[in-house]
Amino acid sequence: WLYLRHRKERQQRSRRLRDLRALALGQGDFQLRDTAGAARSKADFLGRWVLLYFGFTHCPDVCPEELEKLSRAVELLERDPALPPVQPLFVTVDPERDDAAALARYLRDFHPRLVGLTGTPEQVRAAAAAFRVYVSAGPRDADGDYVVDHSVLTFLLDPDGIFRDCYGRSRTAEEVARSVRGHMDTY
Amino acid sequence: AAGMAAPTMEERKACWGARDEFWQCLDSHGDDAAKCEKLRRAFEARCPQQWVKHFDKRRDFLKYKKKLETEGYHPPEAAGKS
Repeated sequence: WLYLRHRKERQQRSRRLRDLRALALGQGDFQLRDTAGAARSKADFLGRWVLLYFGFTHCPDVCPEELEKLSRAVELLERDPALPPVQPLFVTVDPERDDAAALARYLRDFHPRLVGLTGTPEQVRAAAAAFRVYVSAGPRDADGDYVVDHSVLTFLLDPDGIFRDCYGRSRTAEEVARSVRGHMDTY
Repeated sequence: AAGMAAPTMEERKACWGARDEFWQCLDSHGDDAAKCEKLRRAFEARCPQQWVKHFDKRRDFLKYKKKLETEGYHPPEAAGKS
């Protein structure tokens, strides 16, 4: 009887995962361009765990700190050869200034596999909305400079593109790595 | 301006360093900005104006948060009593 119940649970889980996978492409999707100019959507990252952060290159402190943390978390996970590689992603919330060249320059200082994504204002707006990320550009000063207020979150997506967790300012790199490892274990 | 490049890593660190020196000065002079004019100017020279504004707000917020933690919350009407 235990065997039958176990088998039934496995089938329910498979069915649920199949349904979630079917929904995956419609949820949290994006149509953006990477720093080489290639079109990228969430489908391009299926099959990999993804850590995704929304920010902008003119950010005073939060984005560099979060990207350092993201890079360090990925490095910590890389130390374990038994774990699948994690794909770090950065999506700009400031498409007006953060074109491919600006992103490439900025992201050079962080993890070597960090992929930067930008697009038209509409595409970026849609991507932020898909992840429920708040974005609000502030007023421009005399030089035309401005900061963009935005939710500070790093999203974890599993290889099916399903949202699994999100990490805020207070989580350390070690805590993020530990959490990702935990999700990988139960995947 | 739209053509202005974002600060590099080195420029960011120089800005944060100048900010930290200015804030350390304020900390040791009871937030008397008049005592820290030189470091204030260095801070403003090293950081984009937008970042100076951002960090000024951050400092106000941190001070307010510290006040809440040490003194507790006093609604405006009760301020005179404390």
